[in-house]
Amino acid sequence: MTTVVDVDLLADLKKFGAADVSACFSCGNCTATCLLSDNDATFPRRMIRYAQVGLKDELLGSKELWACYGCALCTQSCPTKADPGEFMAAARRYAIASYEPTGLARVIYTRPRLGLLIGVLVAAVLATFMLTQADLGGLHAPTLALFQFVPNELIHWLGIGAMAAMVLAGAWGVVRMVRATARREGVTWEAVAGSREAVRRAAGAAWDALGVESLGQRRFRQDCDGEPEPEPLWRRRWLVHALTVWGFLGLFGATIIDYGLELLGVKATGTAVPIWYPSRLLGTVAGLSLMYGVTLFMVGRWRRWSATQATSTGSDWMLLTLLWITGLTGFAIEVALYAGQPPAWGYWVFLLHVAVAMELMLMLPFTKFAHVMYRPVALFFYALAKRA
Amino acid sequence: MSENPQAAGEQGEAPRRIGVYICHCGGNISDYVDVAAVRAAIADDPDVVVATTTMFACADGQQHEMVRDIREQHLDGLVVASCSPKLHTTTFRGVSRRADLNPYAYTQVNIREQDSWAHSDDREGATQKAIALVTAGIAKTRLSTPLEPLRVETVPATMVVGGGVTGLRTAIGLADIGIAVILVEREAQLGGWLGRLGPTFPHDVPGRDQVARLLAEIAERPTITVLTNAELVGKTGSFGNYTAKVHVRSEAADELRQFQVGTFVIATGADVYQPEVGELGYGIEGVVTLAEFGTLVDEAAGGTLAWHGRRVRSIAYVYCVGNRQPEGNAYCSKFCCAATVHASLKVSRLDPTVRQFHLHRDVRAYGRYELLYTQSRERGSVYLRYPDDAPPEVERTADGRLAVTLVDALTGPDPITLPVDLVVLVTGMVPRENEALTTLLKLPTGDDGFYNEIHPKLRPVETVVDGVMIAGTCQGPKPATEAVSGGLAAVTQSAGILKRGFAELDPLVATVNEAACTGCGACLTTCPYDAISSYVCDTGQKALVSAANCKGCGGCVPVCPDDAIDLLGYTSAQMLAAIDGLATTGVPA
Repeated sequence: MTTVVDVDLLADLKKFGAADVSACFSCGNCTATCLLSDNDATFPRRMIRYAQVGLKDELLGSKELWACYGCALCTQSCPTKADPGEFMAAARRYAIASYEPTGLARVIYTRPRLGLLIGVLVAAVLATFMLTQADLGGLHAPTLALFQFVPNELIHWLGIGAMAAMVLAGAWGVVRMVRATARREGVTWEAVAGSREAVRRAAGAAWDALGVESLGQRRFRQDCDGEPEPEPLWRRRWLVHALTVWGFLGLFGATIIDYGLELLGVKATGTAVPIWYPSRLLGTVAGLSLMYGVTLFMVGRWRRWSATQATSTGSDWMLLTLLWITGLTGFAIEVALYAGQPPAWGYWVFLLHVAVAMELMLMLPFTKFAHVMYRPVALFFYALAKRA
Repeated sequence: MSENPQAAGEQGEAPRRIGVYICHCGGNISDYVDVAAVRAAIADDPDVVVATTTMFACADGQQHEMVRDIREQHLDGLVVASCSPKLHTTTFRGVSRRADLNPYAYTQVNIREQDSWAHSDDREGATQKAIALVTAGIAKTRLSTPLEPLRVETVPATMVVGGGVTGLRTAIGLADIGIAVILVEREAQLGGWLGRLGPTFPHDVPGRDQVARLLAEIAERPTITVLTNAELVGKTGSFGNYTAKVHVRSEAADELRQFQVGTFVIATGADVYQPEVGELGYGIEGVVTLAEFGTLVDEAAGGTLAWHGRRVRSIAYVYCVGNRQPEGNAYCSKFCCAATVHASLKVSRLDPTVRQFHLHRDVRAYGRYELLYTQSRERGSVYLRYPDDAPPEVERTADGRLAVTLVDALTGPDPITLPVDLVVLVTGMVPRENEALTTLLKLPTGDDGFYNEIHPKLRPVETVVDGVMIAGTCQGPKPATEAVSGGLAAVTQSAGILKRGFAELDPLVATVNEAACTGCGACLTTCPYDAISSYVCDTGQKALVSAANCKGCGGCVPVCPDDAIDLLGYTSAQMLAAIDGLATTGVPA
C-alpha cells in the first residue's frame, strides 16, 4: 500500500513555527539524545522526516508528538541547528489545528495577532452578554451578592453551553486523532475490547495514561527532568507543571463541591464560609498551586530560564494568560467576598473571572490547552504498546 | 672472491671482471636460500672478481660499496641477485652509472619472487635454483656489450584532438610554454559540452562564457592552429617526431593536411547517457534528462519554471540513471550529483516554493560541492535514498501529472508516491564512439570503454603509446574542473618530452644483421609497433628496424628463419649462454 505524499505539508508546517527543519539531514542525534525516545516511540528525527517528505497521515497519527515534554535536549545536540524541539512543538500545534473541525486553531497559531484579537473578543462578548442580563441595582448591597449581580441561572446555562461546545469540538478532534493513531499503530477495536484480556489491557493502559502519567507525571518527573542542566527544585519543570495541573483540577473539584452543596441545599453558591470549609479550603490551596505554576511558567518564558523556554509563541502566552487571569481574579473575588465593607470592584472582577474562565473552557480544543485531551490519548496508545 | 683476473672465459673470449652481489633481503631470501652456499658456488668462476653476500643490496651503504668495488676492482660487469627487476633495475643502473660502468653491463637476477618466496618449503632445492639462476646471470653478463641510449630529435609541436574545454585549455597551456599547437575539432564549432551550458557549478558562471573566454585567449595566440570539421586520420613517424594526417571537411572540398608533431593530447570527451524509452518513464510527457532540464531552467531565468506552458510546482530528480548499474555502466560519472544539486538551487532561486525531491543512491557531491548540497537542503530540497535493487517507478496519473513511487530508506519499508509535475532523469556520461581514432592510435580502452592511462596516480595522463597523452572525459567521467587539470598535466608531460629538443630511449631494441638477412619479409608483419620496414640494397631486399619505434619486445627474433635479428641486451648468444648456465648447474626437478 503506497502512501501519496502531500507536497505542501512542509510549507504548511512552517507556518506553525517549524522554520529550520529543512536543514535536518536525518542524522538521528536528536533521537539518540532524547531521554523519552525508545523502541516504542522514536522521535524527533522520524517526525521531521515525515514532515520533509510530506507524509501527513503518518505525522498526524504519530503518538510520538505527544510523548515529548519539550526539554530541548535535542535542539542542543542538533548539528544542523534544525531545532527539533521547536519542530515537535510546531507539529503539535499543527496536529491540534488538523484534528479540530472549525479552523479556529489554525488562525490562532498561524496568525497570532488575529488570534489575540479573537481571544479578547470572546471574553468581551461573554462579559457584555452577561452584563446585559445583570442587575446593576444590587451593586451597593451591604454584602457582596455576586449571583444577584449576574444571575446564577445565566452563568449556569452559559457555562453548560460553553462546556457542550467544547466537548463537541474536543470529541471531534479526539476521534480523529484516535482513528489516525490507531491506523498507524495497527490497533483495532478487537485489540482493546475484543476479549476480557484486551479490556483488561486497555484499562491498564488507560490507568497508565491518566493516572500514572497525566496525574503522576511519572516520565516527566523521572526520565525527562533535570536535563540539559538541573534546575533548582522550585522551578523544575515537572513540578511547576504538576502544580499547575493539580491546582487546576483542585479548583475544578472545589467548584463541583460548591455546586453540589447548593444542590443539597447546604449553602448557596457565592456565600461566605469559614476557611476550613471543604470547598473553600480546597479552592484556596488549589488556587495557590495554580498561580504558583502559571506564574513561574510565565516568568520562565519571559526570562528564558531554560532552552525549553527560549522560544515562546502567541499560543503559549494565550493559555498562560487565560489561566493566570482566571486564578488571580478568583483570589480577588475571595478577598472582596471576605472584606468587611464589600468593594464595588468585586462585581467587575467577578464578571471578568467568569468570562475568562468560560473562554478558557470554550477555547480548549483550539488553544494549547488542547494538549490535555490529546496527550492522554497518545499516552494510552503508548502504554498499550508497552503492555502488548 | 677470486683473485685471478687472468682467467679466460669458457668460450675463449677476453676475460671479464664481474661483481656478484647476493642479497639476504633481510631474511626474505636468506631464510629459505643458503646465500653463503650460492656465493661459494659461483665465487670460483674465473670471471667473477667480486662475490659477496649482503643484508640489503638496495641499501644506501651497500650501493656506495658497490660503486667503490666497481671503481677499485675495475669491474666491467655487475650481477645483483635479489628481487624482481621491476623493483630495482633503475636503482642498480644508477649504481653502474655513478661508477662509470655501462648500465647495460648490469644484470638483475630474481632469487626472491621466483625462488625463495616460491620454494619456502624446500631450502635445498631453493638454494640449488638460486645457484643456477645466478650462474645464468653471470653467463649473460659475460657476453654483454656497452649500449648507449638512443637519442631522437623531437618536434616542438603538439596535436590536441578535441576542442572542448579540456582541449582548449590544453592548447593555451602548450602555447604559453612555447609549444606550437594544432587543435583538431571534429565538429564545426569549438566548445564541446560546456560551450552549450548556462550557469554551471560551483560559481554560476555560464559554460558559454567560460568557453568564450578560452576562445578569445586562443585567438590571441598565433602559435595555435585551429582546425574545425577536422579529424585525425593518420599517424606515422617515430617518438617525438610524428607525421599527423588530418582530414578537413569544408564546403568547397575536403582536404588532407599533414603536420609534424612531437606529441598528441587526446581530449575527445564523452557523450551523455541516453535513456531508453520506458527506462524510468523516459518517453512519458514530463520526464526529461538532466541536459534537457538544464536548458529548461536556463531559459526560464527571470521568469517562472514551466513545462509546456504549465507552471512546475514540484520536481523529482532520479539519480544514477545509466550509471552505477550492476548490468551496464558500473562506474559513477562524478559530475552529475553536483550538477543536479546546482540545478535545484537555480530552481529554488527562480521560485523558492517549488518542491524538489532528490531520489538518489547516495549523493556524491564531494569536496566543495558538499556546500551546494547543504545549501540545497536548507532551501527545502528533500533527499530520499532508494534501494539499489529497486529503482523508482514513474507513471502518468489520470490528472495529467506524474507519480513517482519509491521506498525511502528513512521512512520505509512501505513505498511512498510523490505527485510531481516534472521528473528529471540524472543521466551520467558514456564513452564517446570513436572507433577510428582508437584504432589509429592503438589507444587502450578499459572495460568501461574509456581510454586508459598507464597508472591512475603516478602516470595519470600518459598512455602506453609513446607520446600520446589523454585528458578530460575521454579518459573517464569527471567534472570540467578535473578534466582541465588533466589537460594541464598533459601540457607538462608534453613539455617534458619536447622542451629538451631530443628524447632518450632505451637501447634494448632489435637490430638486423644486414649480411644475414635474406629479405624474406617474415618479420615485417609480426611487429605490433610497425617498427620494421624493408629497403633494397646491392645485395637485395633487407629488413630495417626503426630503433625509435621498436619497443624491444623481441617478437621478431624467433620469426627470422636466418637468425638475422638480434635484440640488444638480450642477444641470442647471451640467452643461449644463460640457458647453458642454468643447465650445467643442474637444477633439481
